[in-house]
Amino acid sequence: MKLLTHNLLSSHVPGLRPGGGFPLKIELGHPSELPPEPLPDYEANEEFLRRLHHVLLEVEVLEGSLQCPDSGRRFPISRGVPNMLLTEEEA
Amino acid sequence: VGCDRSKNLVDICGEKHFQAFVCDALSVPIRSGSCDACISIAVIHHFSTAERRLATIRELARLLRPGGTALIYVWAMEQEYKNQKSKYLREKNGSKNKDKEMNTGTAQRPFSDQEPDNSNQDSAWSDQLLKDLKDESCGAKPVADFRLPVHTNRTSFHSQDLLVPWHLKSGAKKKEESVDTVLVPSGSKESQELNPVFHRYYHVFCEGELEAVCRSLDCVKVRKSYYDQGNWCVILEKL
Repeated sequence: MKLLTHNLLSSHVPGLRPGGGFPLKIELGHPSELPPEPLPDYEANEEFLRRLHHVLLEVEVLEGSLQCPDSGRRFPISRGVPNMLLTEEEA
Repeated sequence: VGCDRSKNLVDICGEKHFQAFVCDALSVPIRSGSCDACISIAVIHHFSTAERRLATIRELARLLRPGGTALIYVWAMEQEYKNQKSKYLREKNGSKNKDKEMNTGTAQRPFSDQEPDNSNQDSAWSDQLLKDLKDESCGAKPVADFRLPVHTNRTSFHSQDLLVPWHLKSGAKKKEESVDTVLVPSGSKESQELNPVFHRYYHVFCEGELEAVCRSLDCVKVRKSYYDQGNWCVILEKL
């Protein structure tokens, strides 16, 4: 799963507040190389831009999960494929 | 980005480095209004009630931004149209199968079901389905006499709701690979276990039916409606 794909996905657990379920939190096996917030003047920060480019265009999540920010429900990612299916009870 | 209900099929997309995820067409985990365009090819005809088919189209429309467009292809009841037989009918007993595991859910005709099926698995009425429906109907309307005919591949459809056989052939992968096939007499018990037949539900659409379902939604407009090789097709625009 690329970051651009993640950008489209949202949680569809029933009963969320309007606009809820987005963005899904990406949980990896290891910490991200990016700082939590963009630095001021990031356009000029070569190191930051390098890391940003890497994450946007060169990284795919193969194993991990996506967590709904409102319900906490986790959707697994395996072999690069997020499984967004809800269970019979949830749907 | 693509999605499908079958994890195994989506895994194949992943192996080919396409972006795809697993979900149900009735509940797509994408924010409303975030797509410029969507396609639904040979999907909606697998939903077993008019209500669910409409819900699928409504869900598709939800994903579109205003002005966004959708393309929908479903199998047509009419396999012969304007005196022209579709490829599906014309390819009866035709060319060799290239990829036996290919799913029959393609808009163009499936070519994985060449041989007319005369095994007794294709009895006219599906007893297993009848039993399953009875088991599931607790609390719902009784479905005592509801039976689905099993289709004979590469012939015309005689019913709008039916089961279409799909033969999963063993050991027949890419033709370049040398395969360790076990020679098994066809029709034997071993053969039936190695070459199972799956029955897949279809509701084939009549002329005008898909268009009518789409027109019943206020949020989209039908821009184009046409027939293409045994499929009824629409192009919708989100209002």
